[in-house]
Amino acid sequence: MTPRERIVGTSVRRVDALEKVTGRARYVTDLDRPGMLHAKILRSPYAHARVVRIETATARALAGVRAVVTSADLGWCEPYFGPAYRDRPVLAIDVARHEGEPVAAVVADDESVARQALDLIEVEYEELAAVTTLEEALAPGAPLVHASKPLAGHFADLSSLRPKPGTNICHQFDFERGRGAAGFVDADVVVEDTYTFPRVQHYAMEPHAAIACWDDQDGLTVWASTQNPYSVRVELARIFRVDLSRIRIIVPLLGGGFGSKTYAKIEPLAGALARITGRPVRLALSADEAFRTVRRCDARVRVRLGFRRDGALVAAQCEAQWDVGAYADIGPRIIQKGTYTATGPYRVPHVLLHSDAVYTNTTPGGAFRGFGVPQIAWAVESLIDDAALRLGRDPVELRRQNLFAHGEEFARGETPIDGKFEESLARAAEAIRWSEAVLADRGRGIAMMMKASVAPTVSEAIVRLHADSSVTVLASTVEMGQGARTVLAQIAAEVLTVPVERVLVAMPDTAITPYDQTTSSSRSTTMMGRAVEEAAEDVRGQLIQIAAGRLHGEGVGLRLEDGAVVSGRGRVTFGELLETRFGMGGGELIGRGVVAPGRSQAPLGGSTPFWEMAVGAAEIAVDQETGAISVLEYVSVADVGRRINPLLCEGQDEGAVMQGLGHSLYEEMLYEHGQLLNGNLVDYRVPRTGDVPHLQCRFVENADGAGPFGAKGVGEGSLVPVSPAVGNALARLTGVRLRELPLTPERVWRALRARARTDQPTKDVT
Amino acid sequence: MLRPFALHRPSTLHDAGHLLDEYKGESALYAGGTELLLLLKEGFLRPAHLIDVKRVPRLNDIVVEDGSVLVGATATHRTIERSPVLGISCPIVPAVAQHVANVRVRNVGTVGGNLAFADPHSDLATLFLALDGRIMLWRRGVEREVPLADFVRGPYETARQEDEIVTAVRLFPWPARTTATYVKYGFHERPTLGIALALTLDADARTVVEARLAVGCVGPRPERLSIESELRGRTLVEVLADADRLASAAAESIEPVDDLHGSADYKRDMTRVFVRRALAIVGARAAGRDADVRYPHTVVV
Amino acid sequence: MSDIRTPSSSSVSFRVNGQMVTLDLPVHALLLDVLRDRLGLKGAKRSCDIQVCGACTVLVDGAPVSACTYLAVEVDGRVVSTVEGLAEGDALHPLQESFIECGAVQCGFCTSGMLMAAKALLDEEPAPTAERVVAYLRGNLCRCTGYRKVIDAVVACGRPRAGT
Repeated sequence: MTPRERIVGTSVRRVDALEKVTGRARYVTDLDRPGMLHAKILRSPYAHARVVRIETATARALAGVRAVVTSADLGWCEPYFGPAYRDRPVLAIDVARHEGEPVAAVVADDESVARQALDLIEVEYEELAAVTTLEEALAPGAPLVHASKPLAGHFADLSSLRPKPGTNICHQFDFERGRGAAGFVDADVVVEDTYTFPRVQHYAMEPHAAIACWDDQDGLTVWASTQNPYSVRVELARIFRVDLSRIRIIVPLLGGGFGSKTYAKIEPLAGALARITGRPVRLALSADEAFRTVRRCDARVRVRLGFRRDGALVAAQCEAQWDVGAYADIGPRIIQKGTYTATGPYRVPHVLLHSDAVYTNTTPGGAFRGFGVPQIAWAVESLIDDAALRLGRDPVELRRQNLFAHGEEFARGETPIDGKFEESLARAAEAIRWSEAVLADRGRGIAMMMKASVAPTVSEAIVRLHADSSVTVLASTVEMGQGARTVLAQIAAEVLTVPVERVLVAMPDTAITPYDQTTSSSRSTTMMGRAVEEAAEDVRGQLIQIAAGRLHGEGVGLRLEDGAVVSGRGRVTFGELLETRFGMGGGELIGRGVVAPGRSQAPLGGSTPFWEMAVGAAEIAVDQETGAISVLEYVSVADVGRRINPLLCEGQDEGAVMQGLGHSLYEEMLYEHGQLLNGNLVDYRVPRTGDVPHLQCRFVENADGAGPFGAKGVGEGSLVPVSPAVGNALARLTGVRLRELPLTPERVWRALRARARTDQPTKDVT
Repeated sequence: MLRPFALHRPSTLHDAGHLLDEYKGESALYAGGTELLLLLKEGFLRPAHLIDVKRVPRLNDIVVEDGSVLVGATATHRTIERSPVLGISCPIVPAVAQHVANVRVRNVGTVGGNLAFADPHSDLATLFLALDGRIMLWRRGVEREVPLADFVRGPYETARQEDEIVTAVRLFPWPARTTATYVKYGFHERPTLGIALALTLDADARTVVEARLAVGCVGPRPERLSIESELRGRTLVEVLADADRLASAAAESIEPVDDLHGSADYKRDMTRVFVRRALAIVGARAAGRDADVRYPHTVVV
Repeated sequence: MSDIRTPSSSSVSFRVNGQMVTLDLPVHALLLDVLRDRLGLKGAKRSCDIQVCGACTVLVDGAPVSACTYLAVEVDGRVVSTVEGLAEGDALHPLQESFIECGAVQCGFCTSGMLMAAKALLDEEPAPTAERVVAYLRGNLCRCTGYRKVIDAVVACGRPRAGT
């Protein structure tokens, strides 16, 4: 592919690199507002308890304390919020549903005083029976986490929430294709197994933080570490009964998100405290508070796959239970998204899928990179390898045989498959040297994934061309490290033929930057990228039109080049064109882009803008005496259509792989009777420098995406195959199949010993 | 954000002792603070007074004294890492010190603080046990020496009285013809297992005349293992040939506990595995071979 | 030598990024908060708050410390270096350039700490191997980059230049 572009496709420096390496980058907790107060939260020590009495007088009397607030003080605003269900109170109302739930809040002159005041609040709890595992929550007659059915939240695709009354199941999702389970009659070989995926924590380096401030026109401004300012805005507007136009969410840089900062979390409380005190209030969580705010949904996944003797995958059935914690957050959509592509990038004529979202009295589960797909892929991709063993087929070949073809239909009304998946698989297999013999003490494994992006969806952008040919891009895409602001600048610069240094991407600010649904779902390059492209093209069109008049042409044969409009007849700079247009040295051209594919007949209510597909391959060694796995080599291949910035894409996938290795080898949140035992970095082990394998992140670029210049999304895909690739490598090396994560040395050790006792491949002892 | 306290900086032990008496029950000794300040942050300790002992002279000295090495309580891990005295007299100590925690903790944290805190997942305590370590405790002008084995009573529990100050740890470097290793295993922030093994051979370099085997991190406190007696008097060749059985016996002799770093039976088996590996390493080194072995999540010193 | 007026506050004089500073501080103040809130040096960040992650790494007399768990009064009479002092005017430190070139920066929250730790390493060992960089930076966590480019950036910076 001959690059016609000058900026797109090159690894230009990040637009925020300089501020980040000089310490000038500003995150929410670096900001100060005049008169700002500091808030701290008192949290429930119990997984489930009635809040009998809260005594705040002593705390309120402490010098420097400005307010001590409980839900009793919040009668003036809507008490509950949440994107799927409005089930989460700003402060606990009569009952605390998980350890760590906010029960009261203190606002004081500084954090030290606020902390001391927390010590002075007396709370009387009455402990209630708690359900802290899927088994407990689903047992007949189990105590209910939510006694009454809450109101539905604000998303169209969840307007048909399907709880199971009288149980802890808050949503059910079903998907069927062909004859469903009846398709298994066509299968010669059926494999079935159950897998579990653990509770893990995003651990973004920056915990959640917000500064809220009401103005004298009853408007609320919140500087928030959030991935979707517009989602927070709609939530706050409803909670505080204020027009959307009067809620302003400003997002500086985020110190990581990974999904933990989607949808309102602490902004409602910050807003309420600011209102009560009449001052700006800063609410900044500590790392261990973040552990108690949101996590990944754990899941138990039972999968059945039916193959014909020739290796064709003919039927698939999946039943999954997902633990969404005490509050549903975006759990219902997660189970839908994860279940929808449970069968991965493979053609399966007969499919029956069912998932339940289940409440438990634990940290609420929410969005986390992969959004449900890692949990299912762990099961399905492991089972495909088991099937390969049964069929006597090579795992790469078995997958290749069943891959979707480019352009094939996934479901009626859904976007056709937009990638050549065989190419990714072949490149991954080659990079890991799949067809070469592996050393005796090493094992190789491979896995694939496919995921739909959120739909229906909306991204709007504005591009402003100033008289000096500099450009401002107004887009509400949040910069959380992925490099979105750089990519959007590149797109605008490319279309308008100006140097990328002359493009400023403004900070997301709902008073200024127009609507964007969310920075998540790997969607920003594709959706906001297109909106920015459209807006820049709008400006380009205006420039050409002005130029046509000035050059006495009709706009034919006119094109942009180096900040001017050129034709056979001459060259007119942007500055000159604006002067022509406005009759003075001022004014600006404003372009607008709106990308809103809207609803469709596709099963999830909208057609995915693109399919995210990735392959992962691992080569490992195992210390068979300790069970410790060493990942020696890892290859990821992501089909991204077109890399707007190659280095940024590589960085994203390297990070995704390491984060995947985290839950594959080390990370799990351990609870005992609903108490989180390891909510800190001493006892919760995230990947470190010494854990990086020889890592190759590769990309397939066929310019076949719906995004600008043929781009598709990137960032989640390469996380998903990590655990099944490693699990498959372990199985091929040792004959032992584990169905739980993480694959800690002790888990592997236990399974190896169990195998040694029976001396044949066996189920792990769980 | 810490709760307020007053900070005192005595320039003599006597002054420090007076402050301990004056603020009995509401004070804490402070040096590096890498353990103490965390406890303050968590609210587990709320002393109104911190007594900073870093200005007490010679408390961070490292000196040789009658065949033992006295490591001052306020010596940091970094000081120990680079100590020329230890490098000559007891080189395994600097070699292990460089693997404690992370570089920032090593720059600030002190050996006295480390031992007084008695975190069960501690490398130094295990190693010092194998060096017949003795803790020097000072109270009102009087010093007493407590064997490390008696000083560490359990997790976060020591024999230090409220009004005593740890002033030093006395280490007894191994005699010549000692071959040793320190092996630590674990993927968490703190080690799951630490083993110090030192075998002293006779003049012919054949027979084991002295054996020291300490295991730490797996139980409430580090222990010297009774199977040391099975090593003494045997030839090295015999010991190595018997390594499997000795390692199993070592594993049987410990009392590991379940915790977030591993279950008791895993720790027991890992003790077996790594005692055996440690024996092999020492055996190779005694024979003049370089035992450059690497195991995942393992540091071999 | 510090002037202890009362045991609960102290006058502390120290050099930070080349400039002498004298502050009256409560003795329980943590260095991280003093740097950020009293001196406006926001580069060092609070993340784990328990000395594990390294986001708060600053140098005291050239040695990396966890500012989140370090009393500010301890820097009296000493030299403190933060990320804001790495560049000299517009001239970036080679490490800063290398981080940008190699793509070692994503969200940036760990970056200040990584840079200061790497600087301390390079000041001691001008040309460390990748393995040595991995070991030294073991206590600096990053959730975005997966470390590959961070390690590369430090190694690239450390190669001895011809003629030096």
